[in-house]
Amino acid sequence: MKLQVTQENLNRALGSVARVANSRNTLPILANVLVKTSSNRLSLSATNLDIAITHYIGAKVSTEGSITVPARLMQDFVNSLPSSVINLELEETKLRVTTDQYRSVVNGIVADDFPVMPAITGGKAWTVNGALLKKGLQQVVFAASSDETRPVLTGVLFHTIDNKLVIAATDSYRLAEKSLGTNKEAIRLLIPASSLHDLLRILGDGGDDVSVTHDEQQVLFRVGDVELVTRLVDGNYPDYQKLIPSGFTSEATLKRSDFVNVTKVSSLFARESAGSVTIEVDEDSGSLSIRSVASQLGENTATAEAKVTGSGSITLNSRYLLDALNALSGDTVSFGFNGKLEPTLLRDPASDDYRHVIMPLKG
Amino acid sequence: MQKDSLWQAVLGEIELSVSRGNFLTWFKSTQLLSHDDTTVTVGVPNVFIKQQLERKYNDLISVTLAKNGLNPITIEYKISPLSTTTRAPQFDEPIFVTTTNQEPAGSGAVRASTNNSFSHSYRQGINERYTFDNFIVGAGNELAFAACQSIAQLPGNKYNPLFLYGGVGIGKTHLIQAVGNAISKQNPAAKVLYISTEQFVQEFVDALRFRKTADFASYYRTADVLIVDDIQFIAGKEKMQEEFFHTFNALHQGNRQIIISSDKPPKEIATLEERLRSRFAWGMSIDMQNPDFETRCAIVQTKAQEHDMVLPTDVVEYLATNVQTNIRELEGALNQLLAFCEMRALEPSLEIVSSLLGVSKTRPKHLSAKQIIERTARHFQIPMEEIMGPKRDKDIVVPRQIAMYMLRSELHLSFPKIARELGRKDHTTAIHSVEKIEKESREDAGLRHTLSEIKERLYA
Repeated sequence: MKLQVTQENLNRALGSVARVANSRNTLPILANVLVKTSSNRLSLSATNLDIAITHYIGAKVSTEGSITVPARLMQDFVNSLPSSVINLELEETKLRVTTDQYRSVVNGIVADDFPVMPAITGGKAWTVNGALLKKGLQQVVFAASSDETRPVLTGVLFHTIDNKLVIAATDSYRLAEKSLGTNKEAIRLLIPASSLHDLLRILGDGGDDVSVTHDEQQVLFRVGDVELVTRLVDGNYPDYQKLIPSGFTSEATLKRSDFVNVTKVSSLFARESAGSVTIEVDEDSGSLSIRSVASQLGENTATAEAKVTGSGSITLNSRYLLDALNALSGDTVSFGFNGKLEPTLLRDPASDDYRHVIMPLKG
Repeated sequence: MQKDSLWQAVLGEIELSVSRGNFLTWFKSTQLLSHDDTTVTVGVPNVFIKQQLERKYNDLISVTLAKNGLNPITIEYKISPLSTTTRAPQFDEPIFVTTTNQEPAGSGAVRASTNNSFSHSYRQGINERYTFDNFIVGAGNELAFAACQSIAQLPGNKYNPLFLYGGVGIGKTHLIQAVGNAISKQNPAAKVLYISTEQFVQEFVDALRFRKTADFASYYRTADVLIVDDIQFIAGKEKMQEEFFHTFNALHQGNRQIIISSDKPPKEIATLEERLRSRFAWGMSIDMQNPDFETRCAIVQTKAQEHDMVLPTDVVEYLATNVQTNIRELEGALNQLLAFCEMRALEPSLEIVSSLLGVSKTRPKHLSAKQIIERTARHFQIPMEEIMGPKRDKDIVVPRQIAMYMLRSELHLSFPKIARELGRKDHTTAIHSVEKIEKESREDAGLRHTLSEIKERLYA
């Protein structure tokens, strides 16, 4: 193998794949990144057996070949090189990396020992707008559970309702759901939230379409020159939709920034009580106030102006409330609830795309 | 051949021909789902492993199957949920749980899992020999005993967590196991887990190794009563402490009873994470003291009765007087006596017991006066010269008096000798000191505790 590649390209590719390589695995080669030529391109791949990422970059290839090299070392090394052309040359299992100023030899492991990179043959293919997907994932993925004892909830559900692609995640205390626009293909996939964190890193700010291919066991996201394949979570996702409330006995609409501020202040006094704050909405005075009590420190009541229909009060975890408010994007937010133990709903009154449900705390 | 044993044989051969890392990664969690003349179906945990086996190891598997008498035309690989470890309950469970202080953390869902695949083959469990009935209550442990009894009646409601601490061999393990036994007896369906910290750590390490942490977590988080012995061994194991912290929280929030024993109070366990420390101190911490003389007598008598022997009062008193350090040693001395008498067909008497224990009772050979003084000084964190020196400050005088008392009680030195050891001329000082400490230790629990701590260090 012999080729030339620019430092920028190589650095970018290592940046997107190296994080997946993991030295804590039982298989030492999983800490390596696979470097492989294919016609006039160079591919870099890494996998942790849950997810695999491959990044293709342009290169001037003189001789074809492949090798695996330690991911961390390679990334740190290339990252500290000046911007120039890098020569890569393979001698048996040693990869010679040279620039005008630097000469180094990296000991590798033969590429044959590297796991087979997953391939999807057949399956369904569809596309989704990259910017929309990125925004949606940012609004939803954090609500997934990290509790491995309920594996289904560690996934994010991608499914279609009335020809619209909808993603949803819940950890059984809160639920976030986002609609990502029309999608012709009817799908139902449960993708590990951890893999979606990696996908988020890869998704740039560009609005390019992301093409997706999936079969029953795995799904492939292709973002520009990067391919990410992840396993799917096995199991039946609960029918969450019946839990999203539609009518409310009390509802308040107010500026999102106001709501964030009063929540932040109240949460200071709620540390002792696991973040529990009581929200009271009053129709007559047109206000929403949040009360929190810390028996040792004192207590706090913060009030914001709001348009209210139906007075009432409810107790929530302030951290969940803040997460939800930060995930919402409009200027105004409406907050509706029913009984003391019924699910509450936060949404942007101007748009129906994003809904966030939080279960109340027993006061 | 059975499917499982056939596959074990195949895996055994494969293990020899690939590297350990490869074996653990690709083959360890596979299983044989079915086989007939034409097709063999292998269950694999996920798609990555499936593709690896299909494309890289198909030949190896095919050859190895042939050696074991199977010549299928095709080998199929199927992702089989049963071979994954993460098969938690997924149906008929509510997604939403109301978060409260009463019943949260998805505990309802987790508790539904009964098919636990986590292996606990080396679990010792609770020893049925330990019950409340054969626990002898005395001044040093009556509080602990009362707390344990009330827990046994209503687990999870009062004193949660219960933290028992005290020196070795004074009945902590007996008492916490008695709680477990009593709860199991009242409610045979209750899931009572007893585990020593060392075992807990071992299982956790295994779980990490075989990637079964989810099983490990759910196993412990579904307990109704979790009893952990010798928690001090968790000190310094950070990842372990984190795991225990989560287990603790899940159980405590679900109102499951947690009982912990240790040789030190939580605040004295070095390198224990702050959040665990505060949690341990949350419920009730009880200090178990060494048994007093009457209790020791009662213990000797009860134990002798268990062996169908009745000991004369003077023998009982002799044992109780001369073995003070802990109950385990007391029991040992008694067993020694009983065995001796049984073998020689003698009746236990004062002569026999004193001749038997006489050697061990008089001054322990390995202990010198200097060691005792040094140990006492170190306990109070003052230099040895100060104790030996002329100063009469209170914080030096008291340790000095304690040192004298220890020399008398442990080494049975004469008063003039004690005075000389501490660089005093007058032996009346020694008499006064020993008497003073003797008297005060009868009234002052703090002092008693100090004395027993120094003693424990000496004999440790």
